[in-house]
Amino acid sequence: MNFLVSFEISASGLTAQRKRMDIIAGNLANIETTRTEKGGPYRRKMVVMSTKQPARDFDDILSFKVEGVQIDDIVEDKTPFKQVFNPAHPDANEEGYLLKPNVDLIVETTNMLIARRTFEANIAAIKAARQMALKALEIGR
Amino acid sequence: MPDKLSFSKTFRALEDAISITQQRHTLIASNVSNLDTPGFRAKDIDFKTAMARALESGPELNLARTSPKHIDLGMDAAHRIEPIEEEGEYDGINWVNIDNEMRKLTENKLMYRTAVEVLLRKIAILKEVIREGGR
Repeated sequence: MNFLVSFEISASGLTAQRKRMDIIAGNLANIETTRTEKGGPYRRKMVVMSTKQPARDFDDILSFKVEGVQIDDIVEDKTPFKQVFNPAHPDANEEGYLLKPNVDLIVETTNMLIARRTFEANIAAIKAARQMALKALEIGR
Repeated sequence: MPDKLSFSKTFRALEDAISITQQRHTLIASNVSNLDTPGFRAKDIDFKTAMARALESGPELNLARTSPKHIDLGMDAAHRIEPIEEEGEYDGINWVNIDNEMRKLTENKLMYRTAVEVLLRKIAILKEVIREGGR
């Protein structure tokens, strides 16, 4: 059943975007975090996506190749931390500068919007597949 | 479709159209899910070419399966479609364009529904003939 493959592929898109949303939420939550387990302020995390072969039977392998998506890796943003002059903060250095996470509110909000829209695009694909499958059920009625 | 019973070629053509649009949908879904995959190239099936090939190729070329344990090689015309990599604009991440994919999704859905709808009408006509002929 070909539609099941489309559902699976679109679902992989939903999963990937949802996980991406989790990472963004983590970045936003830690926008002021100056202490981490590794020491130093929080580093912004990013997702890297890659294609993923859906679970298929032999027949599908002989036909053509379609690919879903998966989160391949979660990497840390290498850009330098923000420096803010705040001598009152306990984590400030001798010169009174405080290192703050390299999380940019605007960047995160934009990424959140994109993740949301992409999630919706995948839902649109699922809806289309569902409508097509339901239409096919009408044959022979 | 049983060829000996074939009321016309319409059934076969519609069956091919449904099969092609269904496979095309899978490809579009794959493109949409890979909107954020670096270096991904969108793939598509050209409906016209695939349909022309399916119509030309005539009866299915499937291998005979004399045991249920035999594998269906899926060698019929519609299965032999090779997806093409689309020419797209590189947006810094990959070659997938969301607007284009959504347009294709809608277009393909309509094509599928049209094929099924025509098939339904065809069956309705046959039913009508059978009913009226029996009177």
